[in-house]
Amino acid sequence: MALDRFVNSLETMLEEARVSLQSVDSAEALEQLRVKFVGAKNGALKSVQKMLSEVAPEDRPAAGKRFNEVREALQAALDGASDRFASGGAAKSAQPATDPTLPGLRPRIGSVHPITQTLEHLKEIMGRLGFSVTEGPEIEDEWHNFVALNIPDDHPARDPLDNFYLATAKNADPVGNSAPAARLMRSQTSTVQIRVMESQPLPLRIISLGRVYRPDAPDATHFPMFHQMEGLWVDRNVTMTQLKSVLRLFATSYLGGDVNVRFRPSFFPFTEPSVEVDYWWNGQWIEFGGAGMVDPNVFASVNIDPEKWSGFAFGLGVERLCMRRFGITDIRDLYRSDVRFLRQFAS
Amino acid sequence: MLISWDWLSDYVKIDCPLEEIVSRWAMSGLNHEGTEIVEGVPVIDLEVTSNRADCLGHIGIAREASVLYRVPLVVPQPRPATAKSSIASVLQLENLFQDACPRYTARVIRGVKIGPSPEWLAKRLRAIGIKTINNVVDATNYVMMECGQPLHAFDLAHIRGGKIIVRPAADKENFLAIDHKTYVLDSQMVVIADAERAVALGGVMGGAESEVSDTTTDLLIESASFAPMSIRRAARKLKLHSPSSHRYERRIDPNQLDWASRRCCELILATAGGELLDGVLDTNPVQTNLPEIELRKSQIVRVLGIEIPWETSCDILKRLGCEITKVGEQHCTVAPPSFRQDLPREVDLIEEVARIYGYEQIPEDAMVPMVASMRRPKDIVMSTLRNVATAAGFDETLNPSLIGRGPADRISPWSSEAPLATMVPLLEGASILRRSLIPSLIAARLHNQSQSNRDVRLFETANVYLPNGNQLPREQLNLGCIAESELRIVRGVFEEILHRVWGVGSDTPKLSETKVSWDFLESGSGIAWMAGETMLCWIGSLSRSLSQSLKLDGAVTLGETNLDLLLQHAQLVPRVRDVVPFPAIERDLNLVVDEALQWQSLQGVISQSAGPLCVDILFREIYRDTNRDGAGKKRVLLTLKLQSATDTLRSEQADEVVASVLGACRSQLGAQLLA
Repeated sequence: MALDRFVNSLETMLEEARVSLQSVDSAEALEQLRVKFVGAKNGALKSVQKMLSEVAPEDRPAAGKRFNEVREALQAALDGASDRFASGGAAKSAQPATDPTLPGLRPRIGSVHPITQTLEHLKEIMGRLGFSVTEGPEIEDEWHNFVALNIPDDHPARDPLDNFYLATAKNADPVGNSAPAARLMRSQTSTVQIRVMESQPLPLRIISLGRVYRPDAPDATHFPMFHQMEGLWVDRNVTMTQLKSVLRLFATSYLGGDVNVRFRPSFFPFTEPSVEVDYWWNGQWIEFGGAGMVDPNVFASVNIDPEKWSGFAFGLGVERLCMRRFGITDIRDLYRSDVRFLRQFAS
Repeated sequence: MLISWDWLSDYVKIDCPLEEIVSRWAMSGLNHEGTEIVEGVPVIDLEVTSNRADCLGHIGIAREASVLYRVPLVVPQPRPATAKSSIASVLQLENLFQDACPRYTARVIRGVKIGPSPEWLAKRLRAIGIKTINNVVDATNYVMMECGQPLHAFDLAHIRGGKIIVRPAADKENFLAIDHKTYVLDSQMVVIADAERAVALGGVMGGAESEVSDTTTDLLIESASFAPMSIRRAARKLKLHSPSSHRYERRIDPNQLDWASRRCCELILATAGGELLDGVLDTNPVQTNLPEIELRKSQIVRVLGIEIPWETSCDILKRLGCEITKVGEQHCTVAPPSFRQDLPREVDLIEEVARIYGYEQIPEDAMVPMVASMRRPKDIVMSTLRNVATAAGFDETLNPSLIGRGPADRISPWSSEAPLATMVPLLEGASILRRSLIPSLIAARLHNQSQSNRDVRLFETANVYLPNGNQLPREQLNLGCIAESELRIVRGVFEEILHRVWGVGSDTPKLSETKVSWDFLESGSGIAWMAGETMLCWIGSLSRSLSQSLKLDGAVTLGETNLDLLLQHAQLVPRVRDVVPFPAIERDLNLVVDEALQWQSLQGVISQSAGPLCVDILFREIYRDTNRDGAGKKRVLLTLKLQSATDTLRSEQADEVVASVLGACRSQLGAQLLA
């Protein structure tokens, strides 16, 4: 497009605007003219501006300069007309007033799942206590899920109906006597203890977080899939004083400085002595997690000399902590994917 | 385990408020579940861990109290009077299944009068939730709840052939139990039989035909020990759990059989009359003692981290019923009592010392040495992609790892092998280990649709389970995304993640885009990014036919990324690059092209023809004007960003680039610049 054609369009438009503005007699009419000439979408000025890209490149600086002059002139004419109405009281509404009470344009930002938030929170706390995150497979063999954890063949936890065994030919026997190669969805994250002690040099200070699976009928507090955090500290002189101190620091970090925590004896096949940790909440003791000194049989199964090394392990259910933190009362809500639920946890 | 406070006081006198002792029990291993007042008597519910079979009776709980409060435990010594005639004259006993029944004892009482139990006994049973039947059955239950040893009374008149045989059940042998249901047994189960048929399923339940009735006069009292695994297996298989199987599964005290038998007979004689025949039939009349254990003083400190006076440790063990056979300054030899089968090792003794001494004595302010611990690369990358996905308006969801059968279960872009399944479904019908996150995300979308939730964008990061021949399945961490109509939204998330994370080093494979066509995708909508031969991620729109069969009410766009592969090549720390100090020039182009021309081809031609001055090609929009351009054409608006790294770009240089681009687009793609 030639420069003169472009400039011509500009001048024509400006002239038309001036004429129209002289005869304008109401704020409404002025607003219509404003839209017509400088409207952001389809204003005449915008149309001419689009033509700018079609002006020959060598002429473009000149065209751009003229365009800017016309734009300022046009705005000045509009402002002038607007002032006329503004001074006349009733015409004030001609200048559309800003309404600062209109709702803001909030960005649409998704939310991170409350379980993920809890897992990250736990990692952060344990990281400060020197525990590194490690992981293990969700599909396990019986060695890692049971045998090495000192859970013998006749232990009720091994019942095929209490576990999610994979349907392979080897797992055919529905009651007991599962073959050594049987695979199952892990029923606890303690399996990772074994994998880590088998493969990593001592000393060790690790946590492992992830999904575990147990056939519980779903209700407000049970779901057949949930998350656990497992911790393990193995070193030359780890004792129950470290166990209690670490878990006390952890409980205080997670639950708050004023939390009342108690340690009571319990039983787990893979720890001895074993501990259950409770915290005081709403007038009763709530289970926080289980822990204990690594059982010598567990050390023996991973070829660690229990006379030279000692350690403690702990495990806790993530859902319960998450639910308490966010005030969630039905565990099933966590796994329904309802966005009205999920969007509440934007943080 | 329900404990009657009144009953307990037969064995131990504790002079303290109930709340206090309940708390002491809890703090020494018997957690308090609750207390109720039943007929004026406090009934305390204590949680007994599976190792503590000794606490499945009032005496065991009383013993714990006596240890904690250092008061004597009074256990009655039953000495039932016996008649002259001997049991051997009326009954023979044979054990053919020693593995499942290490010991079986029988006593015979004749001439009992069946009737209701005395009120004091009935009240105690009612208090702990045991139904009263008659004076004989109640006596067996009473003694079980007293000492933890299950007992069974048979009507001797229905024991045929004067014989009791402990034997394996025959395969598919039918057995009519006291609950009047018939159970089909197998040869791994142990039955108590007479000369003709089974009269009890050993350790689990008695038989209907030999049960004590109102007309019973002569009794056979069984006190036996059964192997835990055998009982557990039978109870599970038949879904027949009883207080008896519960105790046998936890290993009862084998030395207590005779005490329990005498105690039971004594009670029956007192409440139902009759005479006890002289003697007992016993398949294995030996006391079995647990092995002695060497306890080192040094080991207590090593495990607990505190010094406990040696005398205190030894005293605690003695109070718990252990015998200290040798004691030195640093060592002692301990023989645990037969009712503590859970104490085979030194560390078990240390736990006993600790729990009675009190866990609260162990300090909670020990030094925890500092060690370096840092966020893993994985945590960093996961955080990045969560940030990107949420910034794009996607909500994170977590879905069960197992899915059900349905139109979506075949969506499997990562593996063509059949999925694995579990024997028991996770949730109703859901037994397939998912090979892709997409089926779950579609289900999530459907749920939201049913709730009228609009404009749903979801993402999940979780493992998928890819079958791997006979090996353990490969668990691959994926990111899955689902959105509504605009595929560019999903693509944008992936592009941004790759832009932030995918490495730039020489060992990072170059990504290539390739078309994919899977049944579940709308034809022509699928694109995958390949790192060499391996797929890193893909996007596409769900096919209309699948969408219809799933009753989805709008377009569905999808994408999935293999995060394990992404992590292998992740760049964790951005590296700075010089910012070019010379301004860039932008040139807009509005090209009329064939409808079939895709951006990737156009962009390829432009970037090849534009040369090094073109630092970016920005897509603006596509629109169509069939009146001017004719059918089968579309207009593509784009911007070339031109910049020189060495000086300010001149207008003529930019013109040259544009001319070259236009020339190439015209000749290679037939594109026309819109004037």
